[in-house]
Amino acid sequence: MKRLAWLLLFAVPLLVHDEVVLTILVFTYILGMLAVSFNLIFGYTGQLSMFHAAAFGVGAYVTELAMTHLGVSFWVGMLLAALFVEGISLVVGSICFRFKLREFYFAVVTLAFSEMVRLVVLNWNSVTNGSLGINLTTKPTIWIPTQGLIPVEGTRMWYYLSLVALMAMVVTCTRIVHSWMGRCFAAIRLNDGLANALGIDVFRYQLVSFLVGNAGAAIAGALYAYYLGYIEPGYLSIDQSLAIVAMVLLGGRASMIGPIIGALILTALPHIINFSAELRVMIYGLILILTILVMPKGIVGTLAALRAAPAAAGSYAKRSDVL
Amino acid sequence: MFFEAQNLTKRFGGITAVSDLSFSIEREEIVAIFGPNGSGKTTLLSLIAGVVRPTAGILIWKSRRLEGRPPHEIAAAGIVKTFQNPQLFAELSVTQHVMIAAHLRLQRQLGVRRIKTLFRADGGSAELADRVDHVLRLCRLTELRDEPAVSLSYGAEKMLGVAMALMCEPELLLLDEPATGLGQEEIRNLDGVLRDLRDHGTTLCVIDHRVGFLGRLADRAIAMHHGSKLAEGAPGDVLRDAGVVEAYLGRPHA
Amino acid sequence: MLQLVVGQLLNGVIIGTLYGIIALGVTLTFGITGIVNFALGAFMAIGAYLSWFFTDMMGMAYPISILLAILVTAACGFAADQTLFRFTRNNLINGLIVSIGLISVIQSALLLVWTTTPKNMHYVLPGILNFGWFIVPKMKMVVFGVLMAVILMTYSALTRTWAGRAAYAFAQAPEAAMLMGVRTRLLQTGVVVYSTALAGLGGALYASLYSLEVSMGSSYILKGVEAAILAGIGSVMGALAGGIVLGVAEAVGSIFLPAAYRDVYGLVFLVLILLFRPSGLFGPGR
Repeated sequence: MKRLAWLLLFAVPLLVHDEVVLTILVFTYILGMLAVSFNLIFGYTGQLSMFHAAAFGVGAYVTELAMTHLGVSFWVGMLLAALFVEGISLVVGSICFRFKLREFYFAVVTLAFSEMVRLVVLNWNSVTNGSLGINLTTKPTIWIPTQGLIPVEGTRMWYYLSLVALMAMVVTCTRIVHSWMGRCFAAIRLNDGLANALGIDVFRYQLVSFLVGNAGAAIAGALYAYYLGYIEPGYLSIDQSLAIVAMVLLGGRASMIGPIIGALILTALPHIINFSAELRVMIYGLILILTILVMPKGIVGTLAALRAAPAAAGSYAKRSDVL
Repeated sequence: MFFEAQNLTKRFGGITAVSDLSFSIEREEIVAIFGPNGSGKTTLLSLIAGVVRPTAGILIWKSRRLEGRPPHEIAAAGIVKTFQNPQLFAELSVTQHVMIAAHLRLQRQLGVRRIKTLFRADGGSAELADRVDHVLRLCRLTELRDEPAVSLSYGAEKMLGVAMALMCEPELLLLDEPATGLGQEEIRNLDGVLRDLRDHGTTLCVIDHRVGFLGRLADRAIAMHHGSKLAEGAPGDVLRDAGVVEAYLGRPHA
Repeated sequence: MLQLVVGQLLNGVIIGTLYGIIALGVTLTFGITGIVNFALGAFMAIGAYLSWFFTDMMGMAYPISILLAILVTAACGFAADQTLFRFTRNNLINGLIVSIGLISVIQSALLLVWTTTPKNMHYVLPGILNFGWFIVPKMKMVVFGVLMAVILMTYSALTRTWAGRAAYAFAQAPEAAMLMGVRTRLLQTGVVVYSTALAGLGGALYASLYSLEVSMGSSYILKGVEAAILAGIGSVMGALAGGIVLGVAEAVGSIFLPAAYRDVYGLVFLVLILLFRPSGLFGPGR
């Protein structure tokens, strides 16, 4: 049933020709990757990381820098960006988890690190062009059997690229979550003292989830930047980090698809609400508030809870709505 | 020497919970630790399991120094402790608890190669499922296997704690008041489980208030008072020791 | 050189009191309601815009504008508490999200009323004070003085009055306080209102020194949270000290290292403190 839904998504560009709708979907898929990777850290391992936007932004910038200064292809650039982000995440994560920072303090310290990175990006004009940002003129290329190496351009091509990327990420994360490692994450989230007593190296697995999540963010950053065509320090802003948290909370943090739904809503919202910019921002704020007060489990979570039998609800290893 | 604690001391600010305590445990023994509340029994177990760091003293386990090591390392080395107040994973079922506890086992079996299993569809191997069934049966939790752990009775929660500890395949199992809160039948079952464990090679160190239960079960006993060892020997002897009686019950009036 | 350093230091102290007043709001809110109210920066903006409006647009005397601005801001704080924060007591994440949503609402409301054009209040107290090597605008000194006074007053109110001590008791042991008859709901609402009033005051004073725009509060709430954590959440005088320490750290860092990275110095300092002394500089020891 779920497989069918995914397959249908592939058919969308053949049925829908509205550019706006397709564009919204492309952004949804890419931001969905960002939200899903964040949820690995937040929803599954229980750590509220405010570093995700930094990983997102650095992923974008390093991809561009690699392509410009090293002359590599987009894909190699993206790989290098992910590796670079992993390096930073290793440092930040090691510091945070070695010092056993809890919840709130973890959020604050990751926020501090994120801001530090943003300020460096903002001020290192020679490399990043500072607040002016970088306009991207090159495009990623892919190899098609009959046509050779062609650039990815146009909404349709981006649609398929981002959909495939999203699916790859969802499949990877699902595998992880359903494995012994996913059980470690859940144990850490639910009772890390007990996890420790049972022989689970909490530090190691917190770090692993942090690294995997940030790698996902870096990849999403590369894709987002090259789709949009423009990178600027705002990618790393607190607003971006908060938007990611909002997506996950809106959609539901207890499943893989929740964050994607959240991404869809937040991406589509500005287009549905056709008021002035200020009013749109206000409504965004109100939606955030209403969701957390009325639907703390998010849309997907609330629906799942309404459907499920009381005894079986809420177990992560047996989630039926994880794809 | 299997396990030995030498001059263990733990101070929390101005309070000395454990004071210059030395004792040893032999293979496949069942050692009981008696003592009223505040005598330092739980702190002693916490010290051994790595939950707290000793202020002084050393712990030797199979020729390895253990003091200062984190709990997960000590568990991996073969010493596992249960909790006095049962610790649970809210939201998860009994079986899922035991599955999580299987991590150490997986780590021991596969080591680094377990990363490969990440990308195979996981249902767990059949062997793991058997082991889980076995542990659940031992602890009389089979009927409750799919229940959310938070809905269990206190006694069942304690048995779940034992089940999780068993899943870690310990060589030395430390039990912190396993019988407290259990009914008569559950205690009998626990007694059977523990004896069975010992017969199959696990060494046990148990603290509890139920003097009768421990007295029957243990090979050797240690009585603690205000953080120090008061007496040591066969359970019956220790319980009749004059010093112990005076410390726990006071002197008879003239 | 020494002049420069000392001058910067003193500047850091003055701006530190502005951080401190927000930090005080943060620490009080966290201690009594269990959440961090990120919207305090937005309430600061409300206070700023209102005091500008009353002074420049309505022609009132500046001190009166400040008072009015505080009152209105506090009223908004009350409304926010009754509709939102009342439902997120002790729930950090929910409180976080709600306050963030509130920021969007407040900022867009301010934009709707007053547009994006930066507002500049006329010079209320022009002129400078010359201490020889240290020159400071009179208005800055006034701001410094007022904020210090308010913080000190808050401190003595907390330690000397019944209401204040009830607040302390509640922060330490909520159930015991309730059993003792402390009106906890009143207390919690009161603290939220008071902290928004403090933010409003900060904003109203800010308006006399700097140009206003809608997002002015965002860096202040961040600094306020940093300062509160730096000092150890729950310590009132600590909030002031934390704010000053942060202000000074930024100022001193800017002397020897690129000023553009000003904010980074404070952040690095914060991280170091959190790692090595998680309960903050003045919090209960580890």
